[in-house]
Amino acid sequence: MMSIFLLSGILLALLFLMLGLGLWVAFSLMGLGVAAMMLGTSAPLGTVLATTIWGNSNSWALAALPLFIWMGEILFRSRLSEDMFTGLAPWMERLPGRLLHVNIFGSGIFAAVSGSSAATAATIGKLSIPELKRRGYPERMMIGTLAGSATLGLLIPPSIILIVYGAATEQSIARLFIAGVLPGILLIALFVGYVAIWGLMNGDKLPQADERLPLGEKLRRSRRLIPIVGLIAGVIGSIYAGIASPTDAAAVGVALALLLSWGSGSLTRQTFTEGLMSATMTSCMIAFILAGAAFLTVAMGFTGIPAMLAEWIGGMNLSPYALLAALTVFFVIMGCFLDGISVVVLTTSVIMPMVEKAGIDTMWFGIFVVIVVEMSQITPPVGFNLFVLQSLTGRNILTVARAAFPFFLLMLLALALIVMFPGIVTWLPSKM
Amino acid sequence: MRKGLDALYRLSGGLAAFFIVAIVVVVVVQVGLNLTDKILIATGTGALGLTIPSYAELTGYFLAASTFLALAYTLRGGGHIRVTLAIQFLPPPLRRGIEALALATAAAMTGFAAWHMVLYVHDSFSYGDMSSGMLAVPIWIPQTPLALGLTILTVALVDDLVQVLLGRAPSFEGKDESLLSE
Amino acid sequence: QAQSWEMPTPYPDANFHTVNDRAFAADVAKATGGKLEIKIHSAGSLFKHPEIPRAVRSGQVQVGEFLLSILNNDNPVFGADSMPFLATSYADAAKLWKAQKPVVEKLLEKQGMMVLYSVPWPPQGLYTKKPIKSVKDLAGLKFRSYNATLDTFARLAGASPTQVEVPDIPQAFTTGRVEAMITSPSTGVNTKAWDYVSYYTDIRAWLPKNIVVANKRAFDHLPKAEQAAVLKAAAEAQARGWKMSEQETVTQTKALKEHGMHVEKPSPELEAGLKKIGAEMLANWKKKAGASGAELLKAYNQ
Ligand code: NA
Ligand code: NA
Repeated sequence: MMSIFLLSGILLALLFLMLGLGLWVAFSLMGLGVAAMMLGTSAPLGTVLATTIWGNSNSWALAALPLFIWMGEILFRSRLSEDMFTGLAPWMERLPGRLLHVNIFGSGIFAAVSGSSAATAATIGKLSIPELKRRGYPERMMIGTLAGSATLGLLIPPSIILIVYGAATEQSIARLFIAGVLPGILLIALFVGYVAIWGLMNGDKLPQADERLPLGEKLRRSRRLIPIVGLIAGVIGSIYAGIASPTDAAAVGVALALLLSWGSGSLTRQTFTEGLMSATMTSCMIAFILAGAAFLTVAMGFTGIPAMLAEWIGGMNLSPYALLAALTVFFVIMGCFLDGISVVVLTTSVIMPMVEKAGIDTMWFGIFVVIVVEMSQITPPVGFNLFVLQSLTGRNILTVARAAFPFFLLMLLALALIVMFPGIVTWLPSKM
Repeated sequence: MRKGLDALYRLSGGLAAFFIVAIVVVVVVQVGLNLTDKILIATGTGALGLTIPSYAELTGYFLAASTFLALAYTLRGGGHIRVTLAIQFLPPPLRRGIEALALATAAAMTGFAAWHMVLYVHDSFSYGDMSSGMLAVPIWIPQTPLALGLTILTVALVDDLVQVLLGRAPSFEGKDESLLSE
Repeated sequence: QAQSWEMPTPYPDANFHTVNDRAFAADVAKATGGKLEIKIHSAGSLFKHPEIPRAVRSGQVQVGEFLLSILNNDNPVFGADSMPFLATSYADAAKLWKAQKPVVEKLLEKQGMMVLYSVPWPPQGLYTKKPIKSVKDLAGLKFRSYNATLDTFARLAGASPTQVEVPDIPQAFTTGRVEAMITSPSTGVNTKAWDYVSYYTDIRAWLPKNIVVANKRAFDHLPKAEQAAVLKAAAEAQARGWKMSEQETVTQTKALKEHGMHVEKPSPELEAGLKKIGAEMLANWKKKAGASGAELLKAYNQ
């Protein structure tokens, strides 16, 4: 056990050293994997690296990532994103926090088509940041709401992490998806509530409200929402009409966005190329970090560190509530340094027996795990939403993480709520 | 030399973008076929039942190709993320030294990965490994862009390392402009 | 000195194959007095399914489990057990494995791998929303296909092959993107098939097998006593696995029924129609599989 702690300590120091010296994140993760393999196993390092890079990069589920990002780039370069905010603004005047809520609701809606939190952050952020900035909203709330609510991509179905968890624990993915709906709404409510209270207390930090408009004028301006509503309806509709899988729907989104931007006259050879090249770069950045994280995951699988730490918790023979508390701490700490999904992949074998022995419902636990993984997306130094937002805003990940911290606490509150009221998770699936 | 290298980075970046377009085209065609069938069944004509074989596998290959061919282009465009918090306030000579160290480390890692990816592709080729889906694809074909992309990234990193050692600014400096920059 | 072997498997912990693998690992540890420890990495947590055979071949891991027919595109002999209606009972499946094994062993040996054991999945049944009384009822249905064999099968049955990834299955059925699939009762129970289909027709189309292979060099490096222990435990795992599989068929088929699905025996008409398709596919397979395929079939038909 001591050697595991020692090895973990060496690896942590190395991670901070590499990141601190300005080594790119993807290389820092890869380098950490290399060090872990050299110190902890005798498996052939180079071959494992090649196998992992190949095996994890050619992924059908991941193919939606560049498509959603490209869709965002196309909309960003058309007038559609501006139209969306102009159409929404009159309706948000009375809600304290006003257009900041667009990040939350936008992410919530987008989460219904995207299973990934990075894709949600990249797409919604591309549309909302320039508009919110132009209108003078405070940067910190802008970044925080976005970082926090983009994690809904993982909880509101479809969800990559629930698919991974469902496959590893042999559960119905359809039921897990349904189980995620109410907790997703709960999180949205918590985020909206927080922003509203913040808005009430910090009215001076928000831009001047526009004058109150009569209903007729509001409706007239709302006409500008029609294209974007059509786009959302088209993407979600293609899934429910039975002609597209959730991944296919991303391509439908690109096609519709191109069509809309052509229709509005903003599609030129230049905007097309710029949007495509920008999407190629963002998608490459995220996918390369994911490849580095995948190699680190495999290296951790060989060394067995996460599994052994989880076993150590199991050895404490805790009561159910204490076990959940201990697992939360475990996931939060591991989630700072590893991709949240990797933690789940590496530890389910060890954790599920403990959870079952403690009499905890495994479907409920799946949602618990997703919320903890959501939290890991916004904890430094390794948090995918932080990377995406650093790339979008140019603010360093610590600034982004600080802005996102209240939302980390709100997710912790959501965890406490589902522990106290497990029905939030189990009620809907029981109606199936 | 400079011109040749820049053309190489642009070419591989362009190819990467092409593969993203290819994903959209393949999937949209498949969805179009599904829609056609849906309409034909609704009108009582009976489905065509056309599919693009292994389209899910193909899009996975296209994604991998796009990611790796875009590596060097993304590096030079300042697209890869790093934490510059600690080094940005250092005096310029020290900062340049650390920049060179980061570039050298990254180049060594990518070179190592590229070399093993080449060996891996060679292995797949010599054993005649095939994909396991509907379409039997010799697996070395979709693996090759990974080896290629990593190799081009190694070149780009060495390229920048040389620039920094010569006292010039690396290609990505100042390019991480963003939605919030004034 | 104690050493440890890594063993990736694509299947999760509760799956009977994984349970059997763990028993195998425990037997090896016991017989070698803890000198050889086999660490199982379940649910694809180390390597993804398609990478597992290659990881064993190149010595990244010493043992690995995978579905034999994922190598079908490398050589059709690997897919013999996934030929519809060639072997439809456990007895026939055992006979088929006896015929398939020498050919498979020879092919894997060329890649530096040796066969430890192979265990079948329960026989594959047909899941649909409506009852299927004859092959005609399949005509026009969107039929889930994930490899060339199923694609051909669907076309010969007059159905439209549709590609649906495993996690999308329930939603694809609900939205009508797919209307029929062939899979084992285990997969049906794990995905809670009763949520999205009502009929299970027990057509016993084929019994696909998992195979557990070791890296030959790693095996040769073991002391003789440990080699013997591994082989003995493997033989036991094989025998135990087949029994577990038969038990799994009974339990899971019962579970489908208990959750309100109509579990039906195929009508003679359906059976005859399916057999005809099977015969046609076998003829095609023979052409592709060449001499080793002919050798296999000859041994099977003896
Ligand atoms: Na989602
Ligand atoms: Na984190």
